[in-house]
Amino acid sequence: MTSVIRVEEQRHGTTVVASLDGELDASSVGDVAVRVRRLVQNRELRLVVDLARVTYMDSAGINLLYAVGDELRARQQQLHLVLAPGSPILRTLAVVGADRSFPVHPSLDDALAAG
Amino acid sequence: MPSPELAIRELQQVTDAALAILTLDELLRELLDRIAAILGTDTAAFLLLDEVAGDLVAQAAKGIEEEVEHGVRIPVGRGFAGRIAAERRPVAIEDVDHADILNPILREKGIRSLLGVPLLVEGRVIGVLHVGVLSPRHFSDQERDLLQLAADRAAIAIEHSRLHAQRNIVEALQRAMLPSALPMIPGMLLTARYLPAAVDACVGGDWYDVFELGRGRIALVIGDVVGRGVEAGTLMAQVRTALRAYALEGHQPAAVIDLLNRLFGAERPVKLTTLAYLVLDPEAGELTLVSAGHLPPIVVDPDGRARLLDVEGDPPVGAFRSAAFVERRVPIEPGSSVVLVTDGAAEVRGEPLDLGLERLRVLCERERDPRALCDLIVRGEASAGPSDDDVAVLVAQIQPLPERLSTRWPANADALGGLRHLLRRWLAGHGAGPDETYDITVAVQEAAANAVEHAYAPGMAAFSVDAENREGLVVVTVTDRGNWRDARGENRGRGLPLMRGLMESVDVEPADGGTSVVLRRTLAGS
Repeated sequence: MTSVIRVEEQRHGTTVVASLDGELDASSVGDVAVRVRRLVQNRELRLVVDLARVTYMDSAGINLLYAVGDELRARQQQLHLVLAPGSPILRTLAVVGADRSFPVHPSLDDALAAG
Repeated sequence: MPSPELAIRELQQVTDAALAILTLDELLRELLDRIAAILGTDTAAFLLLDEVAGDLVAQAAKGIEEEVEHGVRIPVGRGFAGRIAAERRPVAIEDVDHADILNPILREKGIRSLLGVPLLVEGRVIGVLHVGVLSPRHFSDQERDLLQLAADRAAIAIEHSRLHAQRNIVEALQRAMLPSALPMIPGMLLTARYLPAAVDACVGGDWYDVFELGRGRIALVIGDVVGRGVEAGTLMAQVRTALRAYALEGHQPAAVIDLLNRLFGAERPVKLTTLAYLVLDPEAGELTLVSAGHLPPIVVDPDGRARLLDVEGDPPVGAFRSAAFVERRVPIEPGSSVVLVTDGAAEVRGEPLDLGLERLRVLCERERDPRALCDLIVRGEASAGPSDDDVAVLVAQIQPLPERLSTRWPANADALGGLRHLLRRWLAGHGAGPDETYDITVAVQEAAANAVEHAYAPGMAAFSVDAENREGLVVVTVTDRGNWRDARGENRGRGLPLMRGLMESVDVEPADGGTSVVLRRTLAGS
C-alpha cells in the first residue's frame, strides 16, 4: 500500500458530502468509487465531493467524477465540487474542461450555501 | 534408604541431564520413579498449581496414574494436598481412614499413609509433591527433609522448563509480530534486526515496525513493553496493532501516542511501554518525532556525523492517563540515516545510560553501511557484549538520488505511488516549483498508468521511467513493452489530453519492443 485516502461523509438535508483526504490515483480510485456511490441514496438531491484536502489527483480521479456525475444526472441529482482557488487539482481539471462540467465552490460552506 | 546426600545427588543428576532433552511430563515421571525408589513408597505424585483457578492439578503420578488420567483437581486449602499448598509446609498422614482426604482415588487404591511437601520457587507455591504407601507407616523427619529437598530440585526444574516453553511461545509471537519483510520503498533503504535475550526469563516485548502512511510518508516505530514473557509479548502485539490503526486513521504523531496512552493507561496493574514513533517525509525533508520515555533516536547526517535527537521528557505509554505527548519536527536531508534501538543495544548494568548512548553514536559514525551497523549493534558492540535483554534495531536511510534518474517498476497500480514520491523528490532537488512538480508528476503518472493498464500479463511486466535535467529542460521518458493505446470507452481516455495540457511536448515513439512516451517541460526558475 503506497497511498492512503480517506472518505468522510456528512449529510446536510438533501445534500450528502463526501470529503476526501489523501492522494487519488489508479490504485486508490476503486475504493473511493465504491464508497462515494454507496453514499448517494434516492432522497438526496446533491452530492458534494470535497477535494480541498486531496493532494494529488490525476485522470483516474477525473474519470471517476465524470462517471459519477453522469449517473447522478440520469437520476436528476447533481454533482458539486469543492476546491480551493489556486489548487493544482483545479488547474488539471481546467486542462480537460472538467471545471466547467460541474459547479466548483471554493469551500464546503460555499457549496452548502449554494444548495 | 541411601544417605540423603547420595540420594539428592542422584536426583540432581536426573534434573541436570534431563532438562535439555525431556519434556516437562517426561522429567516429572523420571523424578517420581527415583523418589519412589529412594523412599521405598508405592505411589508418588506431582500436582501443579493452576493459578487462575486456584486448584492443584494432577500432572504426573506413579502407582496412582488414574489421578492424572482423571485430571484430578484439588482446591488450595482443602484435603491433603490442598492443605500442604495453603500452609506451605510438609504434611504427613499416618492413617488415611482418619484424615480429611478429598481425592477418592487415594482411598480406592488402598493407600494407608501419606507424606507431602510443597513445591516452592522463591517462596511461591507452584505445586505439591506427595508419596504414599499401602501399609501403615510413620515417615521420619529425615524422610520428610529428603522429600522436601527432592521437591526443591523438582520445583527449579519445573520452573526452568516452563520458562523454556514460555520463551518458545514469546519468540513465536515476536516472529509473528515483527514485519516478515520490510516494505520496499523506492529511494529508501530500510534495515532491521531483532535478537531475543540470551537468558530465557528476559525474552520480552521489544518490537519495531515500518509502514507507509501515504503521500510518501513512512512511519518508523521502535518500542519496548516493560516486563517479560508471554504477558509482555501479547501486550506488545496489542500496542503495535493499535499504533498502526491510529496512525493509518490519519492522526498526527502526538495524537497517535495520546490515543495509545488513553487506551493502555486504563490497564490495571499499570503496564508501561516505551516507544519512539517517527514519521519520515523524504519529499518535505522532515522528520516528526514523538518519544514516550524511549531512548533518543540517532540521526547520521550525509557527512557521516551522528547526533542524538533531543526528545521531550514524555513518560512511557500507560504511565499517566492524563499525559500529553509532544511532537518535534526536525529537518532531514537525503543521504541521512535514522537509527532506532531498544535498551539492550546500549545499556550496561550499573553504568549511566549516557555512556552507552555515546558508544552507540560513535558506532554509527564508524560504520556507515546500515546492514553492517545493524549487525554490530545486535552483536552488542555498544553494550559490551551480547545483552541479557532483547535487542531491536531499525535503520532507515534516505538514499540520495542520482543526477539522472533511471528506474524500473512492476506494471502494477500499486507502483504508481512510489514512482510519484520518488519523482517529487527528484524534481525538488532540481529546483522545480510546487506547481511544476505537480504538473510533471501528473503527466508522468498518466504515462505510467497507461503502461500499467496495458501490461499484457499483470504482475509479470515492467516499465521504466528515466528523468534528466538538460539545463532546465526536464525530460522524462516512460517506456513499456506494449503499444500505446489511450484508454477507450466512456469517461476514459483523458490521460493523453491531460499530459499534453500539462507539458510542453509529449511524444509517443516506438522503442525496442514497446513504446516510449517522452515528456518535456522547461522549469521556470532556470
